[in-house]
This record gives sequence, structure tokens and C-alpha cells, in this order.
Amino acid sequence: MNNEELKAYIESHYGSQLTYNEAGKYDLLFEVDASNLVTVCEKLKNDSELLFDYFCNLSGADTTERFEAIYNLASTKKKIRLDIKVILPHENPVVNSVQTIWPAANWYEREMWELYGIHINNHDNLTRFLLHDEWDEGFPMRKDWDAPDFIRFPDL
Amino acid sequence: MSNLRTEEFDINMGPHHPSTHGVCRLLLTMDGEKVVKVVPYIGYLHRAIEKICENRTYAMCIPILDRFEYVTAMSCNYVFSLAAERLSGIEVPERAEYLRVIMLELNRIASHLIFFGTTAMDIGALTPFLYALREREYIMDLFEMTCGQRLTYNYIRVGGVSKDIPNEFTPKCRETVATISDKVEEYKRLLNGNPIWKMRTIGVGKLDADLALAYGVSGPILRASGVDYDLRRDDPYSIYDRFDYNIPIYQNGDVYDRYMIRLDEIQESCKIVAQALDQIEDGPIRAKVSPNFKPAAGETYTRIENSRGEMGVYLVSDGTKKPFRVKARGGSYPHLQLLPEIATNCMIADLVAIFASFDVILPEVDR
Repeated sequence: MNNEELKAYIESHYGSQLTYNEAGKYDLLFEVDASNLVTVCEKLKNDSELLFDYFCNLSGADTTERFEAIYNLASTKKKIRLDIKVILPHENPVVNSVQTIWPAANWYEREMWELYGIHINNHDNLTRFLLHDEWDEGFPMRKDWDAPDFIRFPDL
Repeated sequence: MSNLRTEEFDINMGPHHPSTHGVCRLLLTMDGEKVVKVVPYIGYLHRAIEKICENRTYAMCIPILDRFEYVTAMSCNYVFSLAAERLSGIEVPERAEYLRVIMLELNRIASHLIFFGTTAMDIGALTPFLYALREREYIMDLFEMTCGQRLTYNYIRVGGVSKDIPNEFTPKCRETVATISDKVEEYKRLLNGNPIWKMRTIGVGKLDADLALAYGVSGPILRASGVDYDLRRDDPYSIYDRFDYNIPIYQNGDVYDRYMIRLDEIQESCKIVAQALDQIEDGPIRAKVSPNFKPAAGETYTRIENSRGEMGVYLVSDGTKKPFRVKARGGSYPHLQLLPEIATNCMIADLVAIFASFDVILPEVDR
């Protein structure tokens, strides 16, 4: 299945939940509502045409107006790739855990919680692991966070 | 003996344990010599690489990302350059593609040689370590000859590579891959028939395909469990379709298979390098890219097949000369996450063998 076929398939079968986003440059990028995330992911994994059985990566992003969580999925059987983006408000961002679908998501979600302050619902172990245990200086990957001794690189 | 009363106790393995290949703490709950529970603690090598990259231009990110996975720094250079090229649509010259493939495969060989040496050393055989490092030295010489560096290269740049290979590179490289391909046969003779090696590895740390996929395991470990998935073929990048090579698959998913598959991959990589040296032609080595170049706004998740599994970069550009978001994904991260699943209820000596067979490198986990 190439990218055009995959896009047509997703738009015809998941059109009500996934909306196409043209920011994705090489692979397809779709947006999903935070409340639908887990049900859509479950369907994507079990759909016999797609079989997204492989969880590549989860990244958070802070655009200063909103948070984004980007799930990179792949299928080892169908050899296809898909990105899913969830947009979250800047105040109290919460997203549901997908670790029941892909256990690999556990540490990625934990990292996103730790570095971006995006709370994960239904996560079994939200504890610090990249920063030290007593860290209370905020969320370092947010754009408004600077380390006290950090010197911003001048604009060239 | 069986009704001897034993008491469970906690023990810290690491952060500075020699077999953790970096700085990683495993909190073990032991019952005698049996491991009841494993909890990995990471973060000792967290250097905020992703945050630093957001504050640098694209050209300056590449030497920073060298330190992300320093055993195969070429892959780090390459995956970031590839992501930036995909965002901006830069065409890489033919000769640069060949040079990249040669360097990536040489780096894969060097990394697998490290794996071979350290795994054997962790399990108790010191000689393979000396042999493997001796052969790796030839590859380091080739890198030094090309870009002046032995570990963190900053060689593959956005749009091409930084320098052309010198004249003496080609004959020396041919000789090196031919030697290493022969030496792998010697390694196999050295260890494969050894009864102690077999007892320590066969059937230890079994990982089945379903569990491996669920945990996002990739690379040689996934293929040692019988899943035929290699990104060089299944998510094609660069010019790998021009070479004739096999992708070794093993079925048992134990330490022995994970060791065998890497030795086979060394030989396949030697084949690729030899073919690339035959096919390479003269030409430019870099597309015209400004040091302050600005890719078009957009985002991409780019992944390549590294020696430790899938290496990926999620790169967001907002159209300025600094990347908006860089997320580096290494193969070791999900592998370490999986460790408690398969190391529970094994002996502590087997835990060392399993950890070594995963070839985890901690800077890649902590970033």
C-alpha cells in the first residue's frame, strides 16, 4: 500500500475520527481528538488492512499555545507508516495512555509526562526517571523553561 | 535443600557495574541467586540533547547528535541529515550516497564487533574482546583517514558528506572488509563449539516474536526472534536497493541467536561495502546547502536501521534556521524497557548475559 492508497483508505474508513494534516512531509500525518485516541488506536492495530502492530515513537511538542503528542506507528506485516497527532490545551494537558494497546508506549509516556508535564491517564507508573527524583523546577522541555545557568545562543 | 528458608533481599547492580556498558542501575530483588524482580533506573547520562538542539542551527545539531549514540555516530549524523533533507527536498549527489552507505555499513561492522567482544567478555571469555577490538581498529583507521575522527565523526552533513575519501582509502577498505569477513569465520570457530559458551547462551533469555513486537523491539534482536523486518528493505532509504545482500533471520530468540545474527550481519555488511566500492563513481560529494539553511515548515519522523535497531528522529521545522523540535529515538530505549519481562526468574549470571545480548548503550537511552 503506498501513501495515496493509505490516505484514501483511512479517509474512507476513519474519516469521522482522523483528519488529514499536510504538515507531515514524508509520511502521512493525521490529527485525532484526545477523547477518541484510544479507540482509534485500537482499531488501527486490529484492522486487517493496516495492522499497526509496531509502536515506533511518541514525542511531545510545545508550540507555546498548545501541546502536541505525536504517535509514530508502523506495521511490520504491511510495511506502512502513519503518524497521529493529538492536540492538547496549554492549561492542564491530559492524554489517555495507549500502553494497553502497545506496551512499548509505557516509557515514552512517562518521559513525556516528566519533560512536558502532560498528564497521562491510566498509566501504571508515572515516576521520574530521566531527571533526578527530587526535581521540582518545572518541565524542562517546555519552551518557556530555561536552566538558570543556560546561555541562549545568539541569533546569527 | 528445597526446604531451606531463604529471604528475599534487594541489591543494586550498577550504576557503575562493568556489564551495564555505561551508567545504568538495575534494582534487583534476589532470592539467593535467582532474580525475582528487575527494575531499571536510567537517567544518569541525561545530557538534554533534545533541548540543546532546539537552540542550535541545523549544521550545529549534527556534532551534538554524534554524542547521542557514539558507537555508531555515523547513523546519528545520517538520520538527522536525512530528516532535514526530507523536509527541504534536497537531492543528494550520487557519490555522496555511496560514501554514506560505505560509512554506515563500516560503522555497523564496528558496532557489532564491539557487541561480540563485550558480550563474550561479560559471559566470561576474554579472548574475543581482544580479537574484536583488533579488527575494529582497522575500521577506526579508515574513519580517521577520511574525516580525522575515530568516534564522533560529524562526517555526514545535510546535503552530502564533509570530505571526499583519500586515494589510499579504497584499497585499504577492500582489504579490511575481506579480512573481517574471514575473521568472522574464525570467531565462529572460536566460540560456537565451546560447550561452556553453549550452556551459557542457548535457551537463555528467550524472547518470542509477539512480546518483541509489543515492546517495540527492533533490529537484530527482533530478527533473532523470527520477525523478518529490516528497515533497509522495508522502509527504503538511500540506495540500499542497488546491493545484493541477505537479511539473516533466526528463530529461537535466545542469547545464542542474538549473537549469531550479529556475526552474520557483519558478513552481509562486508558484502555491501565491497559492492559499493565497485559501483562508486566520481562526482560531487555535496549539494549546495548554506550553513544557515532553513528547511520548509513541516515535520517528519525519519527512521533508519542502526546496529541497535531502529534509530529515528522526529524533526519539526518552523521555517527558521533552528529546528523547532528534535526528538531522538534509539533502539536501546525499548530494549531496556523490555528487560524486566524476560529477565524475571532467571539466575543473576544469566541476567548479565541477557543484558549483554541486548547490546544496550546507555547514552542512547538517556539522551
